[in-house]
Parts: sequence; C-alpha cells; structure tokens
Amino acid sequence: MTPEWIEIGRGLCYAGAGLTFGLAGAGSAFGIAIASHAAAGVMREKPELFGRMLVMVALPGTQGFYGFIAAILIMTQTGLIAGGPIKISLGTGLALFFIGLGNGIAQLISAIKQGEASAAGISLVARRPESAGRAILFPAFVETYAVVALLATILFIIFLTQPAILQQVIQ
Amino acid sequence: MTTLTTSLIAPSIKNRPKWGFVCGRISALEGKLLPREFFPSIIEMHHTEDVFQHLQGTLIEDYLDPGVPWEDFSAVADRCFYDYAVSIRRDCPSPVPADLFLIKNDYLNIKTALAGMEDIRFLPGMIPENTIISILDGEYDDLPPAFRERITGSSINVSEMDQSLSDIFVDGAYLRQMLALASAIDSPLIQTCVRELVSGHVVSALWRVLRQDRDLRQVADYLLPVGDEDLLVLELADIRDPSAWPEIIGGELGDLLSRALQMPFEEQVSTFDLKVTNLVLHMATYARFETSGPERVFDFLMALEAEMQNLKLVVTGKINRIDPDILAQRLRYVNV
Repeated sequence: MTPEWIEIGRGLCYAGAGLTFGLAGAGSAFGIAIASHAAAGVMREKPELFGRMLVMVALPGTQGFYGFIAAILIMTQTGLIAGGPIKISLGTGLALFFIGLGNGIAQLISAIKQGEASAAGISLVARRPESAGRAILFPAFVETYAVVALLATILFIIFLTQPAILQQVIQ
Repeated sequence: MTTLTTSLIAPSIKNRPKWGFVCGRISALEGKLLPREFFPSIIEMHHTEDVFQHLQGTLIEDYLDPGVPWEDFSAVADRCFYDYAVSIRRDCPSPVPADLFLIKNDYLNIKTALAGMEDIRFLPGMIPENTIISILDGEYDDLPPAFRERITGSSINVSEMDQSLSDIFVDGAYLRQMLALASAIDSPLIQTCVRELVSGHVVSALWRVLRQDRDLRQVADYLLPVGDEDLLVLELADIRDPSAWPEIIGGELGDLLSRALQMPFEEQVSTFDLKVTNLVLHMATYARFETSGPERVFDFLMALEAEMQNLKLVVTGKINRIDPDILAQRLRYVNV
C-alpha cells in the first residue's frame, strides 16, 4: 500500500473523530436547550422546583461527553495523542470514519430526544412535584441507547486499532 | 360541513421547542386548575364565604380580597382570566392562541360603542381604547379588517342599524377575525376548534334570531361572510324549522343540536351553546399529548376560561339562590 493511501486512511479516522464529538456536542446543546426552555417556564411560576428539574435539564449533556470519549479514543489508539502516529490503511480509516459518524448520529438524535423527554418530565414535575423521581426515569431510558452506542464504538475502535490487525492490513 | 375528528388531529400535533418556555409555565399553572369534583362540592356549600376558603392556592387566589363584595366576583374572575391571557401572550412566540380569547372583549366593546355607550366596559384585548372610543364619532378606519372591509364599498351603515342587527354584524366580524387568526397559525387542532366554535356560534345566532321571528335571510346578509360556513348559513336561513337543521349541519354539531332540541324550549339554545363549548373544550385537551406548542396555550386558556365561567356561575348562582341542580347542569366541561 502506498503512503498516500495511508495518509488518506489517517485523515478519514480523524474526520470520524471530529464528526463524533461535533455531532454529539451539537445534540447535547439542542437537548439541553429544549429542556431548559421548559424548566425556565416552570421556574417562572414555581422557582422552588429548580432542584427537582436540574438533573433532567443536565441529562442530555452526557451525549456530548460520550462523543468526546469516542473522539479521544480514536486519537489515542491511532497515535495522534500519546505516541507517534501509526500507519492506517484506507480500509481501517474508512471503518473508523463511519464508526465515528454512526456514534455521532446516535448521540445527536438521542440527545435531542432526551431533551424532549426531559421537557415532558419537567411538565409532569410542574403539575405534580411529588412525581419527580418517576419523571426522571423516562429520559433515563433514552440514555440507555446513547451508552450502548458508546460501548459499541469503544469496542470497534479497540479491535480495529490492535497493533496486530493494523500490521496485517499494512502488509 | 366537514368535521375533522380528533383522532385524526392528535397524530398531527408536533412538539415545537420554541414554545417550551410558555408551555413549561403552563404546566406549572395547570397544577393549580380546579378539579372536576371541586364545583359540585362548592355548589353543596351553605355559605358563600366558605367558597373563599376553598379558593386558596388556586389561580384566582391573588385576586380575592376578603373586603371585596361577592357581587363583584364576576369582574374579579374576568380580570383574573384577562391578566393570565395577556401575561401568557407576552411569553408566546406567536400571539395568536391568546388573541383568539382576547378579541372577544374587543368586539363586546365595539357593540357597546355602536350602541352609543361611552364606557369601555370590557378589558381591551388587541384593539386600543381610543380606537373603540372613535367609533362614537363614526370612525371605523382603525378597526380590524374583518370589520372594516365589510363596510367598505357596501351599502351597510352600521350607525343606522337597530341594536340587534348591529350586534349580528359585529358577531360576523368577530367570527371572521377568529377564522383569520386561526389560519395564521400552523395548527390543525386550533383551526378545527375555532371552526367548530364559529359553526356553533353561527347556528345559535340564527336560532336566536329565528325565535325573535325575524327575517333570517336579512340577518344572514349581515352575518356573512364567515369562511367555509357561508353555504351553511344560507341553507339554514332558508329553513325556518330548527328541527330540520341537524341534518343540514351534520357531524358532531348536528348531533349536539339534535340533543339540544330535546330539551325544554327555553333551555334549547343555551344548552346547544354549552354543548358546543364542551365539545371544543374536550377537543382542545388533545393538546396534552404534546410537550410544547401553541395547542397547549390554546388548551390552557380554554380550560382557564371554563374554570372562571364555572366559578362565576356557582358564586352568582349561590348569591341568587338558584337551584343547585340547575347550576350543576350548566357547568362547563372540566378535565383536570
């Protein structure tokens, strides 16, 4: 394999890293904004409910961190952070690009939907403050799939960037 | 008449995040709405003063001063609804859902002004007080297009009409503005609710006129145009027997009219009005499927208006010693 293809492979995997935290961060921002609007409206009438709503407002923010973790993992496993850059074939680069993109999309959508679920939970708390414990469960269920996406991403990145596999591909 | 069933509307309700703030506020306010069981229990109370105790913690609480005589309760309830509607309007990305309620007072003020009375009796909504006052001088230029455009280029002279025809004319303008406002917002639920309200209003207006033994055709001319209901108005105006109307109207409104016709003669029109309002109140509750959107605002204001009307009915009914059974029958639909 020629060096140009190796450079393209590396470029693709960094593009995947960029997309994964970019999309996840954007999703979290959207999700938190959706929940914050609802919480601010509730606080206008019942400021004492701030504490009960805070967790639900913060929940969609986790996806941004999941995207960040996936991006950092790609960068460390490919040697951009800690250790020198390693040779990455076009196939491995393409795979890492789509893994990053897939994780980014999963985090983006789950963060927005979690924001909507949080806003619905906040509406419930506004009407029945005693339901705060149960209301938090619904957005938490959405979180499950963000975590599953992150776990799958971590496994893919680790297996695809094992030195033995990278070596075989290059040879 | 085509009636879009609520089962078709519900899936078309979308969450709209920019309505999140006002809907969050509404969620908090909804927690203070009075439950269905409240009103029968109030009716059963022996002393009007006991009602005061039971209204603590509700939306009207801040408006109840122990020194205010109960005879002024209607004005207090109207003020409470008006203040909430105006305040919610300020928080909305679009004023339309609140304006649908606030324009009612404007048209009542126009009626008063056309009758030659100088007092602005109802709290002004979208039309400023000086515009209403200018009606006394025959100035209609600043009135909404729904009113103004009907006069322009026609032989209608509002100042020379008798009171009941002038009221019908203003009702027509009010209904046209309701339809215009509803069409300005992308909400099938609100548009359907407004269409039902307008249809119901048209039918009861014609029914009342018929009972005064007046020429329905002439009255219809002053009421029209009212959007898609024009044909219905003309058809009803040709038939002076209300028992034939349900078939022409069709749909849920036709059924409601059939049931109202089974009531004693004096109660038929008011029963029909109540049933139409209850139908729309019930339809509006489908907005609770969404977290944020204009439908939530519309539903809340419908529910708040019903609550204030129910309170006014119960309190004034108790003061005037009206039979509790009659009061209970006239309560509006409550879904809390």
